[in-house]
Amino acid sequence: GIPIRTNLDNSTTVQYAGLLHQLTMKARSTVRDIDPQNDLTFLRIRSKKHEIMVAPDKEYLLIVIQNPCE
Amino acid sequence: HGNLRGGRWELVVPRPPLAAMFADGTAPGADVESVWRSARSARCEAKSCQTGKISTAETAVQSHTSRDASVQTDQSKAAVQDFQQEVQVDYTSLLSFLQRVEDAVIKELNRNWKSRAFDGFEVNWTDQNETVLCLHTLSYPEAQDQNLQVTGVSWNATGSVVACSYGRLDGGDWSTEKSYVCTWNLDRRGLNPERPDLVVDVPSSVMCLAFHPSQPSVIAGGLFSGELVVWDTSRTEDSVIWRTGMTDDTHTDPVYQVHWLPDAKHRNHFRLLSVSTDGKILVWREERDGRLVLAEGFAMVAQQVPRSMHLKKFACGEAAIGVTSLSFSHFDPRVFIVGVEGGYSLKCSTAAEMPALHWTGSSVPLRAPAELAFSPHSGLVYSVSCSPFHRNLFLTCGTDGQVHLHSMLQTQPLISLQLSKKYLFCVRWSPVRPLVFAAASGEGNCNKCFCLGDVHLFDFEKSSQKPALSIKQAAAERPVYCLEFNIKQTQLLAAGDAAGTVKVWQLSSDFTEQGPREMNHLEQLASETMD
Repeated sequence: GIPIRTNLDNSTTVQYAGLLHQLTMKARSTVRDIDPQNDLTFLRIRSKKHEIMVAPDKEYLLIVIQNPCE
Repeated sequence: HGNLRGGRWELVVPRPPLAAMFADGTAPGADVESVWRSARSARCEAKSCQTGKISTAETAVQSHTSRDASVQTDQSKAAVQDFQQEVQVDYTSLLSFLQRVEDAVIKELNRNWKSRAFDGFEVNWTDQNETVLCLHTLSYPEAQDQNLQVTGVSWNATGSVVACSYGRLDGGDWSTEKSYVCTWNLDRRGLNPERPDLVVDVPSSVMCLAFHPSQPSVIAGGLFSGELVVWDTSRTEDSVIWRTGMTDDTHTDPVYQVHWLPDAKHRNHFRLLSVSTDGKILVWREERDGRLVLAEGFAMVAQQVPRSMHLKKFACGEAAIGVTSLSFSHFDPRVFIVGVEGGYSLKCSTAAEMPALHWTGSSVPLRAPAELAFSPHSGLVYSVSCSPFHRNLFLTCGTDGQVHLHSMLQTQPLISLQLSKKYLFCVRWSPVRPLVFAAASGEGNCNKCFCLGDVHLFDFEKSSQKPALSIKQAAAERPVYCLEFNIKQTQLLAAGDAAGTVKVWQLSSDFTEQGPREMNHLEQLASETMD
């Protein structure tokens, strides 16, 4: 995916965009393989340091990275 | 003979006897000469043929110029274009997309703030290694026979080779002992811990060592005589590639620390920086004939040290301040911290402009870099280390057995830890865990305190009062002079001691895996102020 708007630095943005686009496509195909009537609406990845949220769409992808406060 | 009888010659032949009429005799055979050859040759003709003469010519070909060319991939510059100019965006559809997803995303964000679903939930991806074990005990018997001590250890850029320098730290003022620099490649099969892969003989005592940050075979060492030498271990004959020699610019005291400084202009090029107790911090440039030439330098003069109200003791007037250690900030390449003989640490900057007073006789003008002086230790500072995770934190340790955690923003230390009764020779932050550091101490048998070992690993997350782990390095209570974490293989820690051995320790996984909230804890520590 080509980044359009970001508030992080260039290299991190490009990295996130490329990797998460591929992962979103894979997640979407997984969901549709299990049930063809279903489709992916939202993707959340939780890691040790933060939580990454991806809202997918036909043309665009919104990626939000949050530091969950516990 | 003939009888002469009356004028007529008569041939007298002996008359054969009558029996001779039946004598043996051979009759010659009859010969018929063969005529086929001549008959044949009467019909044949002689002919001859020959290939025509082959024309040959002599020429010679030789390339008369040759050039050495080498190829190496350069570190790639970040080739990220400015994408915001190139993309044609249909802003209306972007807007409608954002409006569609906005609610869902905000709902999830809010949910996360309040969620307790993952409290205490941690996943083990790797096998947890519970114990600390000594992987290798490396030594060089010849150096040990001469009672040399390990003065410096360093890991190379790939993390597979450890080098140590032998010398004497208690040699006094005058030392003409030979010393050695030994390297071992730990990834080799057939590693013999008593036989280093490479031994370099050095005519003077080597006090400190540093591998080049990107070239895996280049080591720099600082000598007791004040010189600096750079070796290339990939060369078989003479490994010395640069040296400073004894000029007016070299240090007049032993060099206690060397450091490779990234060049501001060329990111891949590094220059050498040396620190010595004669008060000078010098940056060297490489010249073509293998010499290191002074590029810029700093001098610490007591008068120019900024004084704050808390400092009550400073050296008198024009005395030079002996610098024993140095550490550059990982966040701002111009800021560095030095530890001095007087026991305090100073924050300095390479961008300082003010010339150093009372310093002549150097080819390059020396500048005074000090900006801020921090609260002192009771003894001299042996080691400083800037945190790789926080821009303002650094540690200092000294002969009073204490480790101070300082923030660059204030003169008083944030935390003061009395780790041992003996000297602390080296302190280093862990490269992976923001809250962990290791300290190397002198003789470990202290009477009443809890620490028994020689290498102390401290974890602020577990306890801010006592070490998380104390490792006994040598059985004979010899002090540990230096230690280094391996940046590539983060579970390895090398420590060199006075008995001449380098031990490579493998740390347990709680020292190598970063916990989820360590950075927050570190930030919290950094923002505490002492009243």
